[in-house]
Amino acid sequence: MTEPTNHRSFGDSVTREGSNKLAVDSTPRHTRRMRRTAVTGFVGLTLLLAGCAGDAELDTLEPQGPDARTIDNFSNWLFIASFVVFFIIIGLSAGVAMKNRVKGDYEEGDWPEQVHGNNKAEIAWTALPAILMIAIAAFTVITLFDLNNDESNAYAVSVDGETMQWEPHVVVVGHQWWWEYRYYFDGFDVDAFLDEGHANPAKHLPEADIVTSGQMIIPAGQEIELSVTSRDVIHSHWIPALNGKRDAVPGRISPWKLEADEPGYYFGQCTEFCGLSHARMRMQTIALDDADFAAWVANQTSAAPLSGEDAAYVAALQAGEIPENPTEAQRGLDLLRSQCSGCHLIEGVNDDIWTQEGTEINLSAGAAPNLTHLASRSTFAGGIFPMYNKDGSLNQNALEAWLRDPAAVKANNADNRQGMPNLGLSEAQIDDLVAALALLGEKPEQWIITESFSE
Amino acid sequence: MAEAVLDSAVHAADDDHGHSTGTGISNNKLAMWVFLGSECLLFGGLISTYLLYRHNIQDGPGPSEEFFDIPFTSASSFVLLMSSLTMVLAHYAAERGDNRKLKIWLLTTALLGSVFVAGQIYEFTVFVEEGLGWSTSPFSSAFYALTGFHGVHVTIGIIMLLSTFISAVRGRMHPGNAETVEIVGLYWHFVDIVWVFIFTVIYLAA
Amino acid sequence: MAIIENPLELESGTVVEVAERPLGALTRPSGNTGWASWLFTVDHKRIGIMYGAFAMFFFLIGGLEALAIRLQLAVPNGKILSPEVYNQVFTMHGVTMIFLVIMPLAAAFANYLLPLQIGARDVAFPRMNALSLWVFVAGGFFLCSSLFIGGWFKNVPNGGWFNYAPNSGTLFSPTQGIDFYAVGLQILGIASLVSAINLIVTTLNMRAEGMTLMRMPVLTWMLLVVQFLLLFALPVITVALFLLMFDRLWGANFFNVEMGADPLLWQHLFWIFGHPEVYILILPSFGIISEVIPVFSRKPIFGYSFMVGSGIAIGFLGWGVWAHHMFVSGLGPISVAAFSVSTMMIAVPTGVKILNWVATMWGGKIRLTTAMLFAVGVVSMFTIGGLSGVTHSVSVADTQQTDTYYIVAHFHYVIFGGALLGIFSGFYFWWPKMFGYKLNEKWGKWNFWLQIVGFNLTFGPMHILGLQGMSRRIDSYDPGYGFETWNLVSSIGSFVIFFGVLIFIINIFVSKKQAEHLPPVGPDPWDARSLEWMTASPTPEHNFDEDIVVDSLDHFWHQKYGYDDDGNVVRIAYAEDVAQDGSNDNVHLPSPSYWPLVLSAGLPFIGYGVIYNYWLCAIGGFLVLGAIFGWIFEPPDDPDGGHGHHDDHGDDGDGHSADSSDADDSAEKTDDDLVSVGADTAEAGDAATTETTATAGEADNG
Repeated sequence: MTEPTNHRSFGDSVTREGSNKLAVDSTPRHTRRMRRTAVTGFVGLTLLLAGCAGDAELDTLEPQGPDARTIDNFSNWLFIASFVVFFIIIGLSAGVAMKNRVKGDYEEGDWPEQVHGNNKAEIAWTALPAILMIAIAAFTVITLFDLNNDESNAYAVSVDGETMQWEPHVVVVGHQWWWEYRYYFDGFDVDAFLDEGHANPAKHLPEADIVTSGQMIIPAGQEIELSVTSRDVIHSHWIPALNGKRDAVPGRISPWKLEADEPGYYFGQCTEFCGLSHARMRMQTIALDDADFAAWVANQTSAAPLSGEDAAYVAALQAGEIPENPTEAQRGLDLLRSQCSGCHLIEGVNDDIWTQEGTEINLSAGAAPNLTHLASRSTFAGGIFPMYNKDGSLNQNALEAWLRDPAAVKANNADNRQGMPNLGLSEAQIDDLVAALALLGEKPEQWIITESFSE
Repeated sequence: MAEAVLDSAVHAADDDHGHSTGTGISNNKLAMWVFLGSECLLFGGLISTYLLYRHNIQDGPGPSEEFFDIPFTSASSFVLLMSSLTMVLAHYAAERGDNRKLKIWLLTTALLGSVFVAGQIYEFTVFVEEGLGWSTSPFSSAFYALTGFHGVHVTIGIIMLLSTFISAVRGRMHPGNAETVEIVGLYWHFVDIVWVFIFTVIYLAA
Repeated sequence: MAIIENPLELESGTVVEVAERPLGALTRPSGNTGWASWLFTVDHKRIGIMYGAFAMFFFLIGGLEALAIRLQLAVPNGKILSPEVYNQVFTMHGVTMIFLVIMPLAAAFANYLLPLQIGARDVAFPRMNALSLWVFVAGGFFLCSSLFIGGWFKNVPNGGWFNYAPNSGTLFSPTQGIDFYAVGLQILGIASLVSAINLIVTTLNMRAEGMTLMRMPVLTWMLLVVQFLLLFALPVITVALFLLMFDRLWGANFFNVEMGADPLLWQHLFWIFGHPEVYILILPSFGIISEVIPVFSRKPIFGYSFMVGSGIAIGFLGWGVWAHHMFVSGLGPISVAAFSVSTMMIAVPTGVKILNWVATMWGGKIRLTTAMLFAVGVVSMFTIGGLSGVTHSVSVADTQQTDTYYIVAHFHYVIFGGALLGIFSGFYFWWPKMFGYKLNEKWGKWNFWLQIVGFNLTFGPMHILGLQGMSRRIDSYDPGYGFETWNLVSSIGSFVIFFGVLIFIINIFVSKKQAEHLPPVGPDPWDARSLEWMTASPTPEHNFDEDIVVDSLDHFWHQKYGYDDDGNVVRIAYAEDVAQDGSNDNVHLPSPSYWPLVLSAGLPFIGYGVIYNYWLCAIGGFLVLGAIFGWIFEPPDDPDGGHGHHDDHGDDGDGHSADSSDADDSAEKTDDDLVSVGADTAEAGDAATTETTATAGEADNG
């Protein structure tokens, strides 16, 4: 499993369009491989499998954390055992078929020995797989319970100058078609919460210290417990490099965990079919070192990061005044309040007019991404569009296209309260809004922006 | 196949009792047994659904002794169980060729079944008045689905009994086709036994 | 109702003229030529052939859907299908291939071969058999009509074949698509249930003299196991579909999370059906190749009792593993561990089967005919599917694999590589028996190699894609995740498969043309072993001229061959001498009937009615009730009934219905055309007559 796949070898400087072109350029090798497959049949298939390593962002064979590594180690043994059995069976069936082959019609009297069976042999090859399977079963059960063991690890987090011992834990909530991550630094008792008996508990989650979406930020080297749930349909949360997946089932809160060895950027994809834009429901987990994580927490727990003038402008709007000579961004803030408050909460901007009830009327999930710190994320709209270009500048094009007609760039069914509607904004309004959105939060570090691209 | 005429010589060998089926059970009876096997899983699914949602009552009424009228349902359950007895008597009469008794017992069985169904319909109206609608809660949906499916089964059983009864009235029943009554009886007993389970799960466990 | 009583008054042997019956609508159709003879037939062989033909039609639809999927995914950011249409297409591809292709193709073989292999003249309930065919056809067209009803791709099921709640609720899927799914699958379920009951009774009751259970061919055994799986699995999905329908159409709360419902209920019900369903799909193919491999190895099946036993074991174990589809849904580690272990245990009987096939070939004299090639293809391709299955029975590994293309690869190796290739093997093997000519071997080999290569090109790379993290059911993917190459390969492979299937279809016509210049194939073109080869090809309508008395497993082979003192095989007779020539036209056969077709025609109306307008239900209900009425009062097919000999075969005739949920089930118990080779057909008809008349009486003077 070591042969690298050629299409993974693009440099960082290659653009998305460029990668397409390169992929086409590398066709000869693909054709060669196809021909080989066609010619060698079963053996070719094995070669195909051998080519499956590589560094694809979602690769399940490139674990970056202890849980994923446990699975990977186990899987490797399984694959090896499977290959052995596979070659034995293929060799036997094809080999016997070729060896005992009679060309043309049978001749009269050309009969082999008539063997009806052999009890010893059959008992043997009943027992042999049984023993093998029992061994695999034993390892499976051991590993399974091992993976379900939570270690308890306290992690110091400072919120508003107060230091808390946080057992790293994130509540993960799926929606059509984006993920929300909620952090409760003073702990979140799932059982007690479920005992409250809400019909759809995810719609009644208590207020959290941090609510973010699309990207889960975790401290590296720490086991993070997850509580996975959904507000609408079933989704599945999966960061292949860090652990297997766990379904987000509405009405249930399922435990899961993951851990990253090193700081890094880990891709994920919703893996339970969840309707129209299932393909475009992605998420990333970003592991930070302790200092960066502390900074991130401090940042996210502060109020809306507006500058003095903009903050004053919003305060005036909230007081019902209509200030004169707004800047472009300030006009955008005004629009954020008037256009977006039906669904999106932006603390410090529209928390006076946004309501949970209003959101539930407008969306079947009853929630839209919290935009308070939008600009601190490197992707938006369900983790699919980069918020920033590779050079670190704001990805104006993507933001504008999204605001112009969300469904055109990410399929949705806003008429049925699934996804963001087309607000019918003018180009000028779109420009204003983009300027305002850029104010919402600090730009992430450049390495995060660079890693956001899937090449 | 109008011209297809039996060549009795060909079949003379098996002419003795004709029904040398592999199991010794006639095709029709075996089909009913097999079908009832399938029905077990149908009710199994419905009962499991009910058990899952038994306590999921949201803001509506739940399965409690106060809510259910247990004496009433016990009485109607007793009626249904008695109908199994009369069904046995009907089959016994059919085998002896006692057409008069056959008619009496078939009709009695059908009547007892009808009393049970009427009792259920009455019970449903009371529950709806007390606030347990079809859409009130998962419990209410599961309750009505389970008892409703059973009620429809009983109703179809009644239709089968009445058909057989009319045949008997027309003098078409004789010991040779007593198996018809037996097959109807199999179905009827099955529906009764299922009710024992349903009654236990819904009412006695309340 | 004199028309019913007429036959009673006839002397044995008197020909009953249809025209003599006063009420035309209640006579039985006559004639055995032309399209009407197919529409109203109750002959298990014609029914089997029609099952196959309709399934192949749906196969083309499902195949086109597959090609559309592969075109869309051939390159990143495919634009061939919109996301909504893509979801509809992959849903319909799955539903079509499972319910409208593989299951009915297996039913085709079951209907055609099962009575023959046990030496019966027909199934236990011939009219019920016709009913299951036409209900299947009605259900299939009903389901496919969703593609264009209300506009193309407007009301198509779009929740995947697994259709998880609550995404299947009206809140998230407001079109009528999922209603079509819920109602369509119910209709198809009726067909399969009726068929299962019929074939179980047939197998258990109608075997020829001496055909003990342990002398039945492995195919018959596997089909019997499948019918039991259907019998017990279908009611579970029926419950699930009813609950879904109640939710969507009448506001029940079974899957409504806002009212506190648990979406996992659907998953449990669906997979309690869905996993046995996998064995329902694969076991017929196991049976087919268990017939083909011995014939072309010139050896008996190795370890017959182990083959049968492992098939039964798979059938049993198949019930205890459903939650392995739910390893990541949050069941808790104890359930997961239990289901993980139980799933692994299924590998044991499956492994036994594979090794026994290999052992059958071992030391044999192997002729690689197309049928044999396909059979060997099943052994090897299914092995791959089985092994990848083992890798995700390990729940730990499954958390990475599930819902990725690795799973797509796995189940296509099982369902395509296992089930479908086996069915193709069966086509080549039994084609001469069914149609009287062999399929051309040269075209057949092209067919095989294109299919096997195309298949591996299409689905082999999906293992890699899955391990690279490509999710299932995504309508497009971005470049840069490493998915480009293998998706392109896979798409190219799908077209190779397409050409393989095309060649099969061409082969049918080419071979038919060539057969005109070839000698007739005779009863036993392959020097085969089981009873169906003991009669003429194509099988005469009455199957066997005379009842066969079976004295061993592979009875037919033992008629042809014996052993000399050294244990060598010596011929003792030629097939033509032992086999029957189909010349006996004095065999009583059940008459055709209008009513299965009429009854089936009513069901889609009820379906549309439930979805759109209850008045349509009234029309459908009228058709169904009318058909049941006609069915009951239909004159018995046997003209010489009435000599008063009573028989257990007698039909209850009065519509004992047994199932509240399915109106037409009331018909299934009314079947009176019971014919068994072992039994005196006159008696069967007789009892039926008296019975039918008994009930007829109620309308007689009424």
